[in-house]
Amino acid sequence: MNEHSTKKRPAFDHLFFWFMFAQGGVIAALLIPVHILVQGILGPLGIVPVVDRHYDTWISILGNPLVKLYILVLIAFPFFHFAHRLRYLLVDLGVPAAKSLPAQAVFYGGAVVISLITIWLLLTTAPLSL
Amino acid sequence: MPRGWWTRRANYFWYIVREFTSLPLAVWLLRFLVEVQRAQSGPKGYAPHSSTAFVIFSVICLGFALYHSITFLSLAGVILHFKVLDRPIPSRLVVLSQFGAWAAISAVIAFVLIYFAR
Repeated sequence: MNEHSTKKRPAFDHLFFWFMFAQGGVIAALLIPVHILVQGILGPLGIVPVVDRHYDTWISILGNPLVKLYILVLIAFPFFHFAHRLRYLLVDLGVPAAKSLPAQAVFYGGAVVISLITIWLLLTTAPLSL
Repeated sequence: MPRGWWTRRANYFWYIVREFTSLPLAVWLLRFLVEVQRAQSGPKGYAPHSSTAFVIFSVICLGFALYHSITFLSLAGVILHFKVLDRPIPSRLVVLSQFGAWAAISAVIAFVLIYFAR
C-alpha cells in the first residue's frame, strides 16, 4: 500500500451523525416532556389554556420566526436520535439487517425527510411576523 | 445472542425500554407536526387533538419521555468532565446542573405555551 492510500481522513459523516444523535438526545430530554404535559394532557383536559387550543393564538405564535426555528430544532434533532436508537433496538432484538446500508438509508433518510417536511410546513403554514 | 436475552435480567429489560422510548416519542412529535399542518385549514377547519384516546396516549408518552430524560441526563455525570481552578467538578454536581437546566427550560416553555394562549 502506498502512502497516499493509507492517509487518514476525518470521518465527517460519522462526526455528523454522532453530533445529531447526542444533540437529539439532549433536546428530546430537555424539551419533549413539557410539551407532552402541557399540550397533550393539561390543554386537552381544559386544566390550563394552551396556545394550540385556538386557531388565532396558534397561527399567531407559528408566525414568529424564533418559534419556527424552535419547532425545527424540536423535531429535527430528536428524529436523528430516534433513528439511531430504533435501528440499534432492532439490532439488539436480533435483526442483523438493521445494520445494513439500506436500513441506514431508511432510518437516517427518514429523519432527513421528516426534517424537510417540518421546514416545508413551517414555511407554508403561517406568514412570518414579529 | 439468544432470542429474548433482554427478558432475562431487569437491567437488560430497562435498557431495551430506554431504546424503545424513541418510538412513542417519535409518534407524539409527528402528531405535533400534524397540529402545525392543521393550522393551514384556517379558523373554521382547525381542530386541535382533544379526544380521550389522545390524552391517554399522551400520558403513556409522558412516562416514556420522563424515563428518557432521567436516564439521559443522569449520564451527564459520566460523560461530562469539567475543572474549575484545576479541581474536577463532582459528577453529582454535573448531574444536578442538568436536572436544574431541565426544570428551568420546562418552566419557560410551559409559561410561553400558557401565556400566549390568552
